Amino acid sequence: MCSALLWVLLFFSAATGLPRAFVREEESGTALALRLVAPAAAVVAGKSLFNFVLFAAISAVTVPAFALLLGWRVEAPLALAAVLLAGGAGLAVVSTFLSALVARAAQKSVLFVIVSFPLVVPLLLPAIAGTIAASRGETPWLALRVLGAYAGAAACGAYILAFAAWDE
Amino acid sequence: MKILKLLLLPAMGATIAGAFLWPEPAAGFLGESSRIVFFHVPCAWTASLAFLVAAGYSAAVLVRGKAWHDDLAASAVRVGLLFAALALVTGSLFAKIMWGSYWNWDPRESSFLLLLFLYAAYLFLRTAIEDPARRRRIAAAYALFAAVLMPFLVFVAPRVTQSLHPQTVINPEGRVLMDTPTKTVFFASLATFTGLFLWFLSLDARSARLQREGTSPAGNAEGARRVAVI
Repeated sequence: MCSALLWVLLFFSAATGLPRAFVREEESGTALALRLVAPAAAVVAGKSLFNFVLFAAISAVTVPAFALLLGWRVEAPLALAAVLLAGGAGLAVVSTFLSALVARAAQKSVLFVIVSFPLVVPLLLPAIAGTIAASRGETPWLALRVLGAYAGAAACGAYILAFAAWDE
Repeated sequence: MKILKLLLLPAMGATIAGAFLWPEPAAGFLGESSRIVFFHVPCAWTASLAFLVAAGYSAAVLVRGKAWHDDLAASAVRVGLLFAALALVTGSLFAKIMWGSYWNWDPRESSFLLLLFLYAAYLFLRTAIEDPARRRRIAAAYALFAAVLMPFLVFVAPRVTQSLHPQTVINPEGRVLMDTPTKTVFFASLATFTGLFLWFLSLDARSARLQREGTSPAGNAEGARRVAVI
Protein backbone atom coordinates (compact mmCIF):
# COMPACT_ATOMS: atom_id res chain seq x y z
CA MET A 1 0.00 0.00 0.00
CA CYS A 2 2.80 2.44 0.94
CA SER A 3 4.67 1.66 -2.31
CA ALA A 4 1.66 2.48 -4.47
CA LEU A 5 0.97 5.60 -2.42
CA LEU A 6 4.60 6.72 -2.81
CA TRP A 7 4.43 6.47 -6.62
CA VAL A 8 1.07 8.25 -6.73
CA LEU A 9 2.64 11.01 -4.63
CA LEU A 10 5.77 11.18 -6.81
CA PHE A 11 3.75 11.14 -10.01
CA PHE A 12 1.48 13.97 -8.94
CA SER A 13 4.43 15.97 -7.56
CA ALA A 14 6.27 15.63 -10.86
CA ALA A 15 3.13 16.00 -13.02
CA THR A 16 2.94 19.74 -12.33
CA GLY A 17 6.40 20.30 -13.83
CA LEU A 18 7.02 17.57 -16.41
CA PRO A 19 4.37 18.56 -19.01
CA ARG A 20 5.54 22.19 -18.95
CA ALA A 21 8.87 21.43 -20.66
CA PHE A 22 7.85 22.72 -24.09
CA VAL A 23 4.60 24.50 -23.25
CA ARG A 24 6.64 27.09 -21.30
CA GLU A 25 8.76 27.79 -24.40
CA GLU A 26 5.67 28.35 -26.55
CA GLU A 27 3.96 30.58 -23.97
CA SER A 28 7.03 32.74 -23.32
CA GLY A 29 7.76 33.08 -27.05
CA THR A 30 11.22 31.46 -26.86
CA ALA A 31 10.31 28.39 -28.90
CA LEU A 32 11.38 29.91 -32.23
CA ALA A 33 14.79 30.94 -30.85
CA LEU A 34 15.28 27.43 -29.45
CA ARG A 35 14.38 25.93 -32.82
CA LEU A 36 16.97 28.13 -34.53
CA VAL A 37 19.90 27.50 -32.19
CA ALA A 38 19.68 23.76 -31.52
CA PRO A 39 18.64 20.60 -33.38
CA ALA A 40 15.37 19.02 -32.22
CA ALA A 41 17.02 15.85 -30.90
CA ALA A 42 19.38 17.91 -28.70
CA VAL A 43 16.47 19.98 -27.36
CA VAL A 44 14.39 16.87 -26.52
CA ALA A 45 17.44 15.18 -24.94
CA GLY A 46 18.24 18.28 -22.88
CA LYS A 47 14.66 18.75 -21.71
CA SER A 48 14.44 15.02 -20.83
CA LEU A 49 17.62 15.31 -18.79
CA PHE A 50 16.26 18.37 -16.99
CA ASN A 51 13.00 16.55 -16.23
CA PHE A 52 14.95 13.54 -14.96
CA VAL A 53 16.99 15.75 -12.61
CA LEU A 54 13.74 17.45 -11.51
CA PHE A 55 12.20 14.03 -10.74
CA ALA A 56 15.34 12.93 -8.86
CA ALA A 57 15.26 16.14 -6.78
CA ILE A 58 11.55 15.67 -6.00
CA SER A 59 12.24 12.04 -5.01
CA ALA A 60 15.19 13.06 -2.80
CA VAL A 61 12.86 15.29 -0.78
CA THR A 62 9.62 13.28 -0.97
CA VAL A 63 10.82 9.73 -0.24
CA PRO A 64 12.60 10.42 3.11
CA ALA A 65 9.71 12.66 4.23
CA PHE A 66 7.20 9.99 3.20
CA ALA A 67 9.13 7.24 5.05
CA LEU A 68 9.46 9.41 8.15
CA LEU A 69 5.84 10.54 8.31
CA LEU A 70 4.28 7.16 7.54
CA GLY A 71 6.83 5.05 9.44
CA TRP A 72 7.61 3.20 6.20
CA ARG A 73 10.67 0.95 6.49
CA VAL A 74 12.76 0.09 3.41
CA GLU A 75 14.98 -2.98 3.81
CA ALA A 76 16.93 -2.41 0.54
CA PRO A 77 17.39 1.37 0.05
CA LEU A 78 19.85 0.96 -2.84
CA ALA A 79 17.35 -1.20 -4.73
CA LEU A 80 14.68 1.44 -4.05
CA ALA A 81 17.03 4.15 -5.41
CA ALA A 82 17.61 2.07 -8.55
CA VAL A 83 13.83 1.64 -9.06
CA LEU A 84 13.28 5.38 -8.55
CA LEU A 85 16.01 6.26 -11.06
CA ALA A 86 14.83 3.77 -13.69
CA GLY A 87 11.18 4.77 -13.23
CA GLY A 88 12.08 8.46 -13.19
CA ALA A 89 14.09 8.12 -16.41
CA GLY A 90 11.13 6.56 -18.24
CA LEU A 91 8.69 9.08 -16.83
CA ALA A 92 10.94 12.01 -17.80
CA VAL A 93 11.47 10.83 -21.38
CA VAL A 94 7.81 9.96 -22.05
CA SER A 95 6.55 13.21 -20.48
CA THR A 96 9.07 15.36 -22.34
CA PHE A 97 8.31 13.86 -25.73
CA LEU A 98 4.54 14.08 -25.24
CA SER A 99 4.94 17.65 -23.99
CA ALA A 100 6.65 18.50 -27.30
CA LEU A 101 3.77 16.91 -29.22
CA VAL A 102 1.00 18.81 -27.42
CA ALA A 103 2.89 22.13 -27.08
CA ARG A 104 1.05 23.76 -29.99
CA ALA A 105 -2.28 21.93 -29.71
CA ALA A 106 -5.53 23.26 -28.30
CA GLN A 107 -6.33 22.47 -24.62
CA LYS A 108 -2.79 21.30 -23.88
CA SER A 109 -3.31 20.32 -20.23
CA VAL A 110 -6.29 18.04 -20.86
CA LEU A 111 -4.68 16.62 -23.98
CA PHE A 112 -1.44 15.88 -22.14
CA VAL A 113 -3.33 13.84 -19.52
CA ILE A 114 -5.19 11.92 -22.26
CA VAL A 115 -2.07 11.07 -24.27
CA SER A 116 0.21 10.40 -21.30
CA PHE A 117 -2.07 8.15 -19.21
CA PRO A 118 -1.77 4.99 -21.38
CA LEU A 119 2.01 5.46 -21.69
CA VAL A 120 2.72 6.23 -18.04
CA VAL A 121 0.62 3.48 -16.41
CA PRO A 122 2.78 0.64 -17.89
CA LEU A 123 5.72 2.38 -16.22
CA LEU A 124 4.05 2.84 -12.83
CA LEU A 125 3.02 -0.82 -12.46
CA PRO A 126 6.57 -2.33 -12.52
CA ALA A 127 7.80 0.69 -10.51
CA ILE A 128 5.29 -0.10 -7.75
CA ALA A 129 6.17 -3.83 -7.92
CA GLY A 130 9.87 -2.96 -7.66
CA THR A 131 9.27 -0.63 -4.72
CA ILE A 132 7.32 -3.34 -2.88
CA ALA A 133 10.20 -5.79 -3.43
CA ALA A 134 12.81 -3.23 -2.30
CA SER A 135 10.86 -2.43 0.86
CA ARG A 136 10.92 -6.17 1.69
CA GLY A 137 14.69 -6.35 1.19
CA GLU A 138 14.60 -8.13 -2.20
CA THR A 139 16.39 -6.98 -5.34
CA PRO A 140 13.66 -6.33 -7.95
CA TRP A 141 15.55 -7.53 -11.04
CA LEU A 142 12.45 -8.11 -13.18
CA ALA A 143 10.99 -4.67 -12.41
CA LEU A 144 14.37 -3.02 -13.06
CA ARG A 145 14.75 -4.85 -16.37
CA VAL A 146 11.24 -3.82 -17.49
CA LEU A 147 11.71 -0.22 -16.34
CA GLY A 148 15.14 -0.01 -17.98
CA ALA A 149 13.89 -1.47 -21.25
CA TYR A 150 10.86 0.86 -21.27
CA ALA A 151 12.99 3.93 -20.58
CA GLY A 152 15.54 2.84 -23.21
CA ALA A 153 12.89 2.20 -25.88
CA ALA A 154 11.14 5.49 -25.08
CA ALA A 155 14.46 7.39 -25.20
CA CYS A 156 15.38 5.91 -28.61
CA GLY A 157 11.89 6.64 -29.98
CA ALA A 158 11.90 10.20 -28.64
CA TYR A 159 15.40 10.90 -29.97
CA ILE A 160 14.61 9.62 -33.46
CA LEU A 161 11.17 11.28 -33.67
CA ALA A 162 12.20 14.58 -32.05
CA PHE A 163 12.42 16.33 -35.44
CA ALA A 164 8.76 15.54 -36.16
CA ALA A 165 7.58 16.66 -32.74
CA TRP A 166 9.52 19.89 -32.45
CA ASP A 167 10.72 21.20 -35.83
CA GLU A 168 8.46 23.24 -38.10
CA MET B 1 -10.52 -4.86 -53.56
CA LYS B 2 -13.73 -6.00 -55.30
CA ILE B 3 -12.44 -9.58 -55.44
CA LEU B 4 -11.52 -9.42 -51.75
CA LYS B 5 -15.01 -8.14 -50.92
CA LEU B 6 -16.61 -10.96 -52.90
CA LEU B 7 -14.39 -13.57 -51.25
CA LEU B 8 -15.07 -12.25 -47.75
CA LEU B 9 -18.75 -13.20 -47.71
CA PRO B 10 -18.28 -16.97 -48.25
CA ALA B 11 -15.07 -16.95 -46.19
CA MET B 12 -16.78 -15.35 -43.17
CA GLY B 13 -19.78 -17.68 -43.57
CA ALA B 14 -17.52 -20.74 -43.70
CA THR B 15 -15.50 -19.50 -40.70
CA ILE B 16 -18.61 -18.95 -38.56
CA ALA B 17 -20.09 -22.32 -39.57
CA GLY B 18 -16.76 -24.05 -38.99
CA ALA B 19 -16.29 -22.39 -35.60
CA PHE B 20 -19.62 -23.69 -34.30
CA LEU B 21 -19.83 -27.07 -36.06
CA TRP B 22 -16.42 -28.60 -36.75
CA PRO B 23 -13.95 -28.68 -33.80
CA GLU B 24 -14.92 -30.21 -30.46
CA PRO B 25 -14.96 -27.78 -27.50
CA ALA B 26 -11.50 -27.64 -25.90
CA ALA B 27 -10.91 -29.55 -22.67
CA GLY B 28 -10.65 -27.51 -19.48
CA PHE B 29 -13.18 -24.87 -20.51
CA LEU B 30 -16.81 -24.56 -19.41
CA GLY B 31 -19.37 -25.66 -22.01
CA GLU B 32 -18.82 -24.26 -25.48
CA SER B 33 -16.91 -21.20 -24.23
CA SER B 34 -13.66 -22.22 -25.93
CA ARG B 35 -15.22 -21.51 -29.33
CA ILE B 36 -14.79 -17.80 -28.67
CA VAL B 37 -11.10 -18.29 -29.57
CA PHE B 38 -12.17 -18.25 -33.25
CA PHE B 39 -13.44 -14.66 -32.90
CA HIS B 40 -11.65 -13.16 -29.89
CA VAL B 41 -8.06 -13.90 -30.94
CA PRO B 42 -8.57 -12.78 -34.58
CA CYS B 43 -10.06 -9.50 -33.29
CA ALA B 44 -7.03 -8.93 -31.04
CA TRP B 45 -4.65 -9.94 -33.89
CA THR B 46 -6.40 -7.61 -36.35
CA ALA B 47 -6.27 -4.72 -33.87
CA SER B 48 -2.53 -5.21 -33.35
CA LEU B 49 -1.99 -5.52 -37.11
CA ALA B 50 -4.00 -2.34 -37.69
CA PHE B 51 -1.85 -0.40 -35.22
CA LEU B 52 1.31 -1.69 -36.91
CA VAL B 53 -0.08 -0.66 -40.31
CA ALA B 54 -0.82 2.78 -38.82
CA ALA B 55 2.82 2.97 -37.70
CA GLY B 56 4.00 2.00 -41.19
CA TYR B 57 1.91 4.69 -42.89
CA SER B 58 2.96 7.19 -40.19
CA ALA B 59 6.60 6.52 -41.07
CA ALA B 60 5.65 7.12 -44.72
CA VAL B 61 4.04 10.45 -43.71
CA LEU B 62 7.29 11.59 -42.06
CA VAL B 63 9.40 10.47 -45.02
CA ARG B 64 7.21 11.61 -47.92
CA GLY B 65 4.70 13.98 -46.28
CA LYS B 66 1.76 12.77 -48.36
CA ALA B 67 -1.75 13.43 -47.03
CA TRP B 68 -2.99 10.11 -48.44
CA HIS B 69 -0.62 8.20 -46.15
CA ASP B 70 -2.00 10.19 -43.22
CA ASP B 71 -5.56 9.23 -44.26
CA LEU B 72 -4.49 5.58 -44.30
CA ALA B 73 -2.75 5.83 -40.90
CA ALA B 74 -5.78 7.47 -39.26
CA SER B 75 -8.13 4.94 -40.89
CA ALA B 76 -5.97 2.03 -39.68
CA VAL B 77 -6.21 3.39 -36.12
CA ARG B 78 -10.00 3.83 -36.36
CA VAL B 79 -10.48 0.29 -37.71
CA GLY B 80 -7.97 -1.04 -35.17
CA LEU B 81 -9.95 0.56 -32.35
CA LEU B 82 -13.11 -1.15 -33.60
CA PHE B 83 -11.40 -4.57 -33.52
CA ALA B 84 -9.74 -3.80 -30.16
CA ALA B 85 -13.17 -2.98 -28.68
CA LEU B 86 -14.55 -6.25 -30.13
CA ALA B 87 -11.61 -8.16 -28.62
CA LEU B 88 -12.38 -6.62 -25.22
CA VAL B 89 -16.10 -7.40 -25.48
CA THR B 90 -15.55 -11.02 -26.56
CA GLY B 91 -12.89 -11.39 -23.85
CA SER B 92 -15.32 -10.06 -21.25
CA LEU B 93 -17.99 -12.56 -22.35
CA PHE B 94 -15.46 -15.38 -21.95
CA ALA B 95 -14.39 -13.99 -18.55
CA LYS B 96 -18.00 -13.96 -17.34
CA ILE B 97 -18.45 -17.64 -18.25
CA MET B 98 -15.07 -18.85 -16.97
CA TRP B 99 -14.30 -16.58 -14.02
CA GLY B 100 -17.78 -15.30 -13.07
CA SER B 101 -17.20 -11.61 -13.81
CA TYR B 102 -17.05 -9.52 -16.97
CA TRP B 103 -14.00 -7.64 -15.70
CA ASN B 104 -11.30 -9.10 -13.41
CA TRP B 105 -8.42 -6.59 -13.70
CA ASP B 106 -6.40 -9.40 -15.24
CA PRO B 107 -3.04 -8.06 -16.58
CA ARG B 108 -3.98 -9.00 -20.14
CA GLU B 109 -7.41 -7.36 -19.89
CA SER B 110 -5.92 -4.21 -18.37
CA SER B 111 -3.03 -3.95 -20.81
CA PHE B 112 -5.38 -4.35 -23.79
CA LEU B 113 -7.64 -1.64 -22.36
CA LEU B 114 -4.58 0.62 -22.10
CA LEU B 115 -3.77 -0.19 -25.72
CA LEU B 116 -7.27 0.96 -26.64
CA PHE B 117 -6.77 4.21 -24.67
CA LEU B 118 -3.35 4.67 -26.31
CA TYR B 119 -4.86 4.76 -29.79
CA ALA B 120 -8.04 6.58 -28.75
CA ALA B 121 -5.63 9.31 -27.56
CA TYR B 122 -4.21 9.40 -31.12
CA LEU B 123 -7.64 10.44 -32.42
CA PHE B 124 -8.00 13.05 -29.63
CA LEU B 125 -4.58 14.44 -30.56
CA ARG B 126 -5.61 14.78 -34.20
CA THR B 127 -8.74 16.73 -33.32
CA ALA B 128 -6.74 19.17 -31.15
CA ILE B 129 -4.46 20.37 -33.97
CA GLU B 130 -6.04 22.55 -36.63
CA ASP B 131 -3.24 23.05 -39.15
CA PRO B 132 -3.37 19.99 -41.48
CA ALA B 133 0.38 19.79 -42.14
CA ARG B 134 1.25 20.02 -38.43
CA ARG B 135 -1.53 17.55 -37.56
CA ARG B 136 -0.09 15.02 -40.02
CA ARG B 137 3.42 15.36 -38.59
CA ILE B 138 2.45 15.32 -34.91
CA ALA B 139 -0.01 12.43 -35.34
CA ALA B 140 2.63 10.43 -37.23
CA ALA B 141 5.21 11.06 -34.48
CA TYR B 142 2.72 9.96 -31.81
CA ALA B 143 1.70 6.82 -33.75
CA LEU B 144 5.34 5.78 -34.16
CA PHE B 145 6.17 6.53 -30.51
CA ALA B 146 3.12 4.49 -29.47
CA ALA B 147 4.26 1.64 -31.75
CA VAL B 148 7.70 1.64 -30.05
CA LEU B 149 6.07 1.21 -26.62
CA MET B 150 3.15 -1.02 -27.75
CA PRO B 151 5.14 -4.29 -27.28
CA PHE B 152 5.33 -3.50 -23.54
CA LEU B 153 1.53 -3.49 -23.39
CA VAL B 154 0.96 -6.50 -25.65
CA PHE B 155 3.86 -8.78 -24.71
CA VAL B 156 5.62 -7.61 -21.52
CA ALA B 157 2.93 -6.34 -19.10
CA PRO B 158 0.72 -9.48 -19.32
CA ARG B 159 3.73 -11.74 -18.69
CA VAL B 160 5.39 -10.07 -15.70
CA THR B 161 2.49 -10.83 -13.34
CA GLN B 162 0.23 -13.86 -12.82
CA SER B 163 -2.66 -13.96 -15.31
CA LEU B 164 -5.91 -15.91 -15.49
CA HIS B 165 -5.82 -15.69 -19.28
CA PRO B 166 -5.42 -19.04 -21.10
CA GLN B 167 -2.08 -19.63 -22.78
CA THR B 168 -1.92 -17.66 -26.01
CA VAL B 169 -0.85 -18.73 -29.48
CA ILE B 170 2.47 -17.02 -28.75
CA ASN B 171 3.56 -19.14 -25.76
CA PRO B 172 6.90 -19.99 -24.14
CA GLU B 173 7.00 -23.36 -25.94
CA GLY B 174 6.61 -21.58 -29.30
CA ARG B 175 4.05 -24.21 -30.41
CA VAL B 176 0.41 -23.95 -31.51
CA LEU B 177 -1.34 -26.08 -28.88
CA MET B 178 -4.43 -27.06 -30.95
CA ASP B 179 -5.80 -30.13 -32.71
CA THR B 180 -6.11 -30.10 -36.52
CA PRO B 181 -9.78 -28.99 -36.88
CA THR B 182 -9.31 -26.22 -34.31
CA LYS B 183 -6.07 -25.14 -35.96
CA THR B 184 -7.69 -25.09 -39.42
CA VAL B 185 -10.69 -22.99 -38.38
CA PHE B 186 -8.51 -20.73 -36.24
CA PHE B 187 -6.09 -19.84 -39.03
CA ALA B 188 -8.96 -19.51 -41.54
CA SER B 189 -10.56 -17.07 -39.12
CA LEU B 190 -7.31 -15.10 -38.78
CA ALA B 191 -7.08 -14.83 -42.58
CA THR B 192 -10.76 -13.80 -42.89
CA PHE B 193 -10.49 -11.13 -40.20
CA THR B 194 -7.32 -9.82 -41.86
CA GLY B 195 -9.24 -9.57 -45.15
CA LEU B 196 -12.08 -7.80 -43.33
CA PHE B 197 -9.57 -5.31 -41.92
CA LEU B 198 -8.14 -4.58 -45.38
CA TRP B 199 -11.64 -3.97 -46.75
CA PHE B 200 -12.63 -1.69 -43.85
CA LEU B 201 -9.31 0.15 -44.18
CA SER B 202 -9.87 0.75 -47.87
CA LEU B 203 -13.44 2.02 -47.29
CA ASP B 204 -12.53 4.31 -44.39
CA ALA B 205 -9.39 5.72 -46.04
CA ARG B 206 -11.27 6.50 -49.26
CA SER B 207 -14.01 8.19 -47.23
CA ALA B 208 -11.37 10.22 -45.31
CA ARG B 209 -9.69 11.22 -48.59
CA LEU B 210 -12.96 12.43 -50.09
CA GLN B 211 -13.76 14.41 -46.95
CA ARG B 212 -10.31 15.99 -47.00
CA GLU B 213 -10.64 16.92 -50.67
CA GLY B 214 -14.15 18.27 -50.07
CA THR B 215 -13.27 20.38 -47.01
CA SER B 216 -9.76 21.63 -47.85
CA PRO B 217 -9.44 25.26 -49.06
CA ALA B 218 -8.03 23.90 -52.29
CA GLY B 219 -10.93 21.50 -52.64
CA ASN B 220 -13.04 21.92 -55.72
CA ALA B 221 -16.67 21.35 -56.60
CA GLU B 222 -15.79 17.88 -57.85
CA GLY B 223 -14.40 16.91 -54.44
CA ALA B 224 -17.52 18.20 -52.68
CA ARG B 225 -19.73 16.29 -55.14
CA ARG B 226 -17.84 13.03 -54.44
CA VAL B 227 -18.29 13.51 -50.68
CA ALA B 228 -22.00 14.10 -51.21
CA VAL B 229 -22.22 10.81 -53.12
CA ILE B 230 -20.71 8.92 -50.13
